[in-house]
Amino acid sequence: MLCAGVIFPLILAVYAGPEDQALIVRLQRRDPQALAELYDLYGGLAYSLVLRVIRDKAIAEDLVQETFLRVWNRVHSIDSERGAIGPWLLAIARNRAIDYLRSSAGRERNSVELDESEHAPLYREMESGIFISDQVRRVKAAMDKLAPNYRTVVELAYFEGMTQPEMSAKMGQPLGTIKTWMRTALQSLRDELGVAVSSS
Amino acid sequence: MNCDQLREHYELYAWGLAEEPERAEIREHLQRGCKVCEPAVKRALETRALLGASAPAAQPSAQLRRRILASVGVERRGPGWFAVWAMAAALAAMFLFLSFVLQSRGKYVEEAFRSRAAFAILYGPNTVEASFGGSQPLPPRGKVFVNSSQGVLLIASNLPRTPSDKIYEMWIIPKGAKPVPAGLFQSSEDGEAMHIRRGTVDVASTAAVAVTVENRTGADQPTSTLLIAAALTR
Repeated sequence: MLCAGVIFPLILAVYAGPEDQALIVRLQRRDPQALAELYDLYGGLAYSLVLRVIRDKAIAEDLVQETFLRVWNRVHSIDSERGAIGPWLLAIARNRAIDYLRSSAGRERNSVELDESEHAPLYREMESGIFISDQVRRVKAAMDKLAPNYRTVVELAYFEGMTQPEMSAKMGQPLGTIKTWMRTALQSLRDELGVAVSSS
Repeated sequence: MNCDQLREHYELYAWGLAEEPERAEIREHLQRGCKVCEPAVKRALETRALLGASAPAAQPSAQLRRRILASVGVERRGPGWFAVWAMAAALAAMFLFLSFVLQSRGKYVEEAFRSRAAFAILYGPNTVEASFGGSQPLPPRGKVFVNSSQGVLLIASNLPRTPSDKIYEMWIIPKGAKPVPAGLFQSSEDGEAMHIRRGTVDVASTAAVAVTVENRTGADQPTSTLLIAAALTR
């Protein structure tokens, strides 16, 4: 069960949905107040995600700062009419955290990591209430439904940024097995959450 | 490949786990606006975003908001006495810190170190330091301090003014490997800067710390010649 502390920033974020497009336009016009509003809406979420990956408060704040700077400088790449800036920002935050984690651990940076800037146009027409508490509960429920091995590979991939060969080594399982687990887990998540996703 | 053959790989692609040739195929489909692949990858991205929002809630410090707004040059409205005080304190600390570095350790310690991180790096038991630019009259000069458990601290003066669309980026250069980005920073109007990259560093495998001038978004690898290069010698 989620506590109030978990729900609160998510409730804040949900009300950002209808205002996302106006916010993007103002950011693209270089309105600094828009950046402040963006931070008020998504700063807590981004920080929570980065902290979950990094587990160091000071470094997490540095990376969140880099995330917002990157969004500020690349906001023109997102669709101003249908863009979903929250999911895009979170994706950038997650990638910055994973990049840091991999670099500090002496692991090679993942060359196949999706470039969120390149794919910014894809962050559009997403569910405006994507971060509402109910949705997050559904994500948690979907994760809980996964078998432990499936859930582990999802968490290693998402929060640790591991490649499938790295997961294979860590878990002591053949690479083919890891690939099967990963594919099955992601398809299960997709099926569990898919009804909430808008189509275009 | 056709879209049906790629169906099983959309999620892996969105998570950065797809392999060749499927990765290149999906990328090509996206680039040409494929009406099947694009919404499928978009859906996979949304699923991934949802997972990010499920991280346990945590609250950043109140200073983070100010730092972010300051990094894009936003001025506080109204008197903003706290910001004025904080800026004055930071500038004073930087001046004292530079004085400390250029003269001797010890005298201005309490006043000079405005951040616990800088203090921890400078006085870490195994901190390695390296100088740069000291033998030349004009280029940037200063020192870097590298501590295996605390991070990297760079102090520089004589930094040239960067164009408005540029920023300094620090790099940690491992031996025999590509430079690793270590954060963006700006100099003061006087060409001085103190930049900290907190976190663990493998000092033994680090060859040098460097700085380049990059676009404001930063770069994954240096795109200009090294403005600062401090080789670590142990």
